[in-house]
Amino acid sequence: MSRKSFPYKATGGEQRDLSQPGYYAGYSTMAQKKNWEEATRTLVTKRVEQTLAIRFFSQEQAALLAAVVDRVMPQDDRTEGRTIPILSILDERLHKNSLNGFRYEDMPPDQEAYKLAIQAIEEMAQERFRESFPDLSVHRQELILKSLHDGKPEPENSIWQRMPVHRFWAMLMEDCITAYYSHPWAWDEIGFGGPAYPRGYMRLENGLPEPWEKDEQRSEWNAPVDSLSELEEDSAPPEHGSLHGHGGSH
Amino acid sequence: MPHRLGPMQTLPSPMRRFKENETVDYCIVGVGSAGGVLVQRLARAGFRVVGLEAGPFWDTEKDWVSDEKGSYELYWNDLRITGGTHPLALGANNSGKGVGGGSVHWAAFAPRFHPSDFRVYSEDGVGVDWPMSYWDLKPYYELLEREIPVAGPAWFPWGDPHGHPYGPHPLGGVGDVLVRGCTNLGIRSVAGGPVAILSASHGDRPHCIYRGFCIQGCKVGAKASTLITHVPDAISHGAEIRAHAMASRVSLREDGRVDGVFYFDREGKEHFQRSRAVIVSGYAIETPRLLLNSACPGHRHGLANSSGTLGKYLMAQAGDVVAGRFEELIRLYKAPPAHALSEEFYETDPRRGFARGFAVQTVGPLPVAFAKQMVAAIGAWGWGMRRVMMDYNHWATLGVLGEILPWEENRVELAEEKDRHGLPVAKVTFTLHDNDKKLIEFGKNKVMEIMWAAGAKQVVQESRFAHLVGASRMGSDPSTSVVDKFGRTHDIPNLFVCDGSILPTQGSANPGLTIQALAARTADYLIKQGDNIFFSNRRDLTEPGIRYDLSPPYTKFKGNPRIA
Ligand SMILES: Cc1cc2nc3c(=O)[nH]c(=O)nc-3n(C[C@H](O)[C@H](O)[C@H](O)COP(=O)(O)OP(=O)(O)OC[C@H]3O[C@@H](n4cnc5c(N)ncnc54)[C@H](O)[C@@H]3O)c2cc1C
Ligand code: SF4
Repeated sequence: MSRKSFPYKATGGEQRDLSQPGYYAGYSTMAQKKNWEEATRTLVTKRVEQTLAIRFFSQEQAALLAAVVDRVMPQDDRTEGRTIPILSILDERLHKNSLNGFRYEDMPPDQEAYKLAIQAIEEMAQERFRESFPDLSVHRQELILKSLHDGKPEPENSIWQRMPVHRFWAMLMEDCITAYYSHPWAWDEIGFGGPAYPRGYMRLENGLPEPWEKDEQRSEWNAPVDSLSELEEDSAPPEHGSLHGHGGSH
Repeated sequence: MPHRLGPMQTLPSPMRRFKENETVDYCIVGVGSAGGVLVQRLARAGFRVVGLEAGPFWDTEKDWVSDEKGSYELYWNDLRITGGTHPLALGANNSGKGVGGGSVHWAAFAPRFHPSDFRVYSEDGVGVDWPMSYWDLKPYYELLEREIPVAGPAWFPWGDPHGHPYGPHPLGGVGDVLVRGCTNLGIRSVAGGPVAILSASHGDRPHCIYRGFCIQGCKVGAKASTLITHVPDAISHGAEIRAHAMASRVSLREDGRVDGVFYFDREGKEHFQRSRAVIVSGYAIETPRLLLNSACPGHRHGLANSSGTLGKYLMAQAGDVVAGRFEELIRLYKAPPAHALSEEFYETDPRRGFARGFAVQTVGPLPVAFAKQMVAAIGAWGWGMRRVMMDYNHWATLGVLGEILPWEENRVELAEEKDRHGLPVAKVTFTLHDNDKKLIEFGKNKVMEIMWAAGAKQVVQESRFAHLVGASRMGSDPSTSVVDKFGRTHDIPNLFVCDGSILPTQGSANPGLTIQALAARTADYLIKQGDNIFFSNRRDLTEPGIRYDLSPPYTKFKGNPRIA
């Protein structure tokens, strides 16, 4: 996690360190763990406590991908001890080669896809800014990543002719999101109830909190004002539709 | 420690184990939604039955968690290749691996198909008619609704109107949005079901605690899966379920009848299970894959594929998710994702300019799934992703469930890639056609309208697909279908297919209940035919008549209410 992000351009605000971003101050899912059954408690506790070594990526690859992950799933607002591991989780998946059950016919295998993308991103940084991607300013890093997000790599790179950029982007996002939003600190941030067996829920309607949940208290969140990854007004859905699994659906 | 199936139920022990060289009556490949029911029925009727299941035999207390990422193992995660103009996301998008199959991770919406679904060609000039009617299946719908059982309104107004044996569930925030939006537009809706989740305890299964982790496997045992509804009874009646047994090939004898199944055990060692008949129940992808991989002299293009239709006419349903952001809190993670719906747009309406229709249903993505939807729906990433997720509790999500017609080019074939046993993996090709596109466009706009009408401040949508069926379809004409109306392959008298892959069309109802009802009917047929299946090539197509004495315990004394 590199914490060099602020100010982004000239206008970026000073970033406060937050142990818990979000609108649910004082809410802690881990504080509820005695109410979870054993298998879940063991799994989630391990997720919080474990540190995984990087085994799949080389040092250089890991350094580059870490810089990418820091922009794709930024955590500069989180205090040092409360950042959520992402790269190591992704590395573990690729190390075990655990698949999500399928591969698009126009995509290389997942392991290869990441290696190719790392190479492409580095080449793009060199060509456009004559610097290595991790050394670029946050804004320049975002410029390159935004072009991948938009499906129009700038500058163009031959790797994206071999591997559809929107599919790689979807896989990268899926891996980052899965690591971040499966962590209890992220649950605290968004006010999700977390594991709820054997206790269950009793207040189903009207968004009411359980006695052990917290009500929302909205406040201005100090995200940077000028990041290219902020939500755009009327952002259109990408043309390609669903590119991922179907969890949570019917 | 006993093998647990929910907090109260344990797996009957000891389970019968057939010897390596013993011949059984039925070898069933895949113990999922259909396979679970088949194993149970046939065992109760006194047949010697083995179920081969590629995945584990879940101990729900040890193996399952209340956690999205931790439930990864429930799905068929082995490699498959996906392509076509609208390639389908597979893996967690469609099928399970392990005893219970897809019924372990289904949301358990349990609507019936409508009578019109069985006659779409006659009524609308599209797709094909089924070789059977709704009325042939109706008694099995009623029986399965009591067996698994289904909770819902006492009056369900669409299709063949009917009631549900267990009362409806209380409404969650998302169901509230569906009912509100529909009501404001004058659209009828129902809430609290139909869903195969207990609203009151049932034998050794507790009722729902509204924790919303249905798709992660219900540790509570409130949501039906064949693992807890039918498999225990199968084992009590002498069936063997062999987990970690990956079938690789159905073996054909020289006289044109099958005599067993080759499979790999956990260590990769190959075995042969000899049997007098074989039923393949491996899901709409793995079933055609296994039959294609079983090609042999005389059946060069796959077993039971003289028609050339094996693997073809694969269907999915349009499953677009519409998300609406509300000023007030919703907390969509509470209550089962499946709990309210409308089937007001199910049948053809000529004014819309396309054939057939869609349903509107609640969905309840947990944080990881919801974040993925935001990637697809609004291109969220970086700080934008963090920001939209901080509003997770303000969003509600509704799903379109739209009928996609059967097309020959949508299919399962064998890919060049191989799995760890050296077996070619499945390649799935999927492309939308004109009617499908129009239907999806209309359906998604209608659901967005409902979301606005419920008071959402922002409405976005993500295109996706759900529920693969077809690819070994049933029909009366052996030159255009793989199996007859009881699942018997046209080509091989003692080889059957029984699972979602035999569906000729799929309507806009979730397929699980129909798949289980069809399995119970096929079982009755096999039981009625008795030894004929093993020795005779004569094909009797008379309905077997339903057996009410073969249900699992606790089915008795329950009724299907009919409030006219
Ligand atoms: C997230 C999600 C939600 C869903 N929600 C609903 C819902 O609300 N309502 C509904 O009706 N449907 C729902 N479905 C769909 C439903 O789960 C499936 O339609 C249904 O389970 C299919 O039944 P089946 O018998 O065809 O196959 P499965 O239930 O998938 O069973 C096939 C079994 O065969 C095994 N198998 C396959 N190949 C082999 C082999 N070679 N050797 C040994 N074993 C093998 C598999 O491991 C599996 O256990 C949902 C699906 C998903 C993904
Ligand atoms: S909501 Fe009900 S059915 Fe779903 S997982 Fe929880 S207890 Fe089981």
